Amino acid sequence: MSLPFKPASTPWLLAHELRLAWRGVWSKRASRGVGSLIAFAILGGMMLIGGIAAGLGLRGHQIPVIPLSVAISDLVLAVIMTLMLSTTLAASADALYERGDLDLLFSSPLTPRKVLFVRALAMAVNAGLFFMVPAVLLVTPSIVLGHPAWAGLFVLLAAASLAASGVGLLLAMALFALIGPRRTRTVAQVMAALIGAAFFLASQYRNLMGRQASETLFARVAKEASHGAFKPPPFADIPLRAALGQPLPLLIVAAIGLGLFLFAAQTLGRRFADAAAATAGAETRKAAKGPTRAFAAGAFQATVRKELRLVARDAALLSQVLLRVLYMLPLAFVLARNAAHMPAWALAGPAAAVTFLAGQVAGSLAWITISAEDTPDLLAISPTPIGVLNRAKLTAALVPVALLLAIPIAVMAWFAPLAAFWAALGAGLAAWSAGLINVWRQKPGKRADFRRRRGGSVLTALAETMITLLIGVATGLAVAGLLAWAPLPLIVAGALMMALRRTDEQIAQALRAASV
Amino acid sequence: MTEALIVRGLNKTFAKPAVTDLDLTVHAGELYALLGPNGAGKTTTLRMVAGLTQPDKGEVSIFGVDARKDPAAAKALLAWAPDEAMIYDKLTPLEYLEFVAGLWNVEPKAAKTRAEELLATLGLISEARRRCEGFSRGMKQKVALAGALIHDPKLLILDEPLTGLDAAAARLVKDMLQARVDAGGTVILTTHILEVAERMADRIGIIAGGRLLAEGTLEELRNRAGEASGRTLEDVFLQLTSDASSEGARA
Repeated sequence: MSLPFKPASTPWLLAHELRLAWRGVWSKRASRGVGSLIAFAILGGMMLIGGIAAGLGLRGHQIPVIPLSVAISDLVLAVIMTLMLSTTLAASADALYERGDLDLLFSSPLTPRKVLFVRALAMAVNAGLFFMVPAVLLVTPSIVLGHPAWAGLFVLLAAASLAASGVGLLLAMALFALIGPRRTRTVAQVMAALIGAAFFLASQYRNLMGRQASETLFARVAKEASHGAFKPPPFADIPLRAALGQPLPLLIVAAIGLGLFLFAAQTLGRRFADAAAATAGAETRKAAKGPTRAFAAGAFQATVRKELRLVARDAALLSQVLLRVLYMLPLAFVLARNAAHMPAWALAGPAAAVTFLAGQVAGSLAWITISAEDTPDLLAISPTPIGVLNRAKLTAALVPVALLLAIPIAVMAWFAPLAAFWAALGAGLAAWSAGLINVWRQKPGKRADFRRRRGGSVLTALAETMITLLIGVATGLAVAGLLAWAPLPLIVAGALMMALRRTDEQIAQALRAASV
Repeated sequence: MTEALIVRGLNKTFAKPAVTDLDLTVHAGELYALLGPNGAGKTTTLRMVAGLTQPDKGEVSIFGVDARKDPAAAKALLAWAPDEAMIYDKLTPLEYLEFVAGLWNVEPKAAKTRAEELLATLGLISEARRRCEGFSRGMKQKVALAGALIHDPKLLILDEPLTGLDAAAARLVKDMLQARVDAGGTVILTTHILEVAERMADRIGIIAGGRLLAEGTLEELRNRAGEASGRTLEDVFLQLTSDASSEGARA
């Protein structure tokens, strides 16, 4: 189907980008079956119902522009902007390295500025859609039911995504200038993950810093605002007023968003082309120095070593795992700190949560080491039995989890040895179970698909979550001193594990079927 | 004469038949070239020999070991190098060879020495500790070839081994393969470069439509095609494959 625009024009190029993006999304959805589409339809339907209920409830009411509502709207916008920025920063760095069609575009008579403009616009659309779709479903009923001006929220979100795209590009290019092409991608990916997690960590600073900082960030601001102690700085009400459809604030946010976007796209055009050209071959690293290590003995040791090397050298993967680990940090802090002065039962919740998260991190790593094998044929042609390879890959996935857990468990063991024992046992069991599920139900994929791995097999992912959750509950019960109850969730988890179990022969058969 | 590979009645059907009743014998110590047009079934045949694809029917024997009954023992004797190099971008050549040697259970000290020798022979020793991610296609092919040779396989199977190599690298690889055959090793390769088969192969098999059309030395193939001696392999190949496609069309 030809595009309904003048060839080589900006709308034509944008339509081309959007067509590719749409086909990519559609083919992924279609490949995951009707179930995935139904799940999305149900989720959308629920949001729409919620939106209708809110619309009916808010009929005839206005949202007041007071310090509390201003504080809430600013915080929500800050969270949204942060998440958008984490998406666009990673996308900006990737855009420099994705050689797919970049060489074609830059070798054509199109100006680099136009290419970058369209790429940046596509990034903004991508970052904005994630929030725009739920916003449309939730807010449209209110707009229809008497608040047409609230459509300003959509303009606000569009402006935010444009601004995030512009800032993401500027940041990526600044990194490129500062640290060079080889490190930019790594640093940008790690930064994107950290930015994404920043608000979670900020909201958990009480857990990280201790009881003396007795309020969470959000609770503190809300409390001060409701007591009138909080005076928002000048212009802090602009986002709220824009969302409520007031013309001048709307113009201001639109101008800021568009201005940042255009500034980045217009000023970086030529530099972007040069930077993209400079990335060709930039992955080349200096050769390692010093004496070479002795070779590993046997398939098991060689495979463990190879997997650990690959995990440690994959920046994108590390940033994603780091993100999951970041969510573990506050809980680990609670465990370690409370162990000093709290009764054992107070550790039950955090111990259960750490167990659950250990399972989740192990599951992620196991998927990488087991399913995301870059050269499956090399392993299939080797005389090493698949069982040995799977055990080695599982070991490689569990080693980082063990290292992560070692410090909080050690601190806990100092103050509450029995609770530490149960937490270590539970976390180990959860990690091992999640790893085993990934061995039994392995589904070959690419490392690049890591972020979307949950979409691969919904049932398996659900079972993995359920099992690690049940082991977490059992751990919590054991830590709380209710040892007699702990076997109950373990029995259910064990039954689920048995239902998922596959023999080596069955695994090999499933892999053969998948490769045809 | 010891047979390195015996294939009998091999069949594989995907959406349509890929390989049909294929019989093939490769003698130990020879270089056997499997030729055929695109989609002829060459790669599927080799993948079945290597144990990567399960045949629907048929037998594969490697140095007397039944590859379907005892795949591990058969795999221990062979190496497979496809046209797309099976390597890890984030590993260095030396680390890659360490891993492959581990898979074939080569003694670590011997493996390290051999890895360094292979990389030196292939002109990669200066790159031995640099990650493969920045390597050219030809360099990656060479690393993969070193991986295929690290455990000193009795049977080396190569699918389009010269793809992406420059003239110097192609010559190096051809010399290595010839040296291997001269030392008693067995090599099976597929290639689209007929001159390579003509110059290097002891025997040639021509496959089309999943069937083996002809097999033998170049002279035997000329006789089979009714071509006068002195005609090139290209003439023979085109004659045989066009006969097969016109027969197929009539059928």
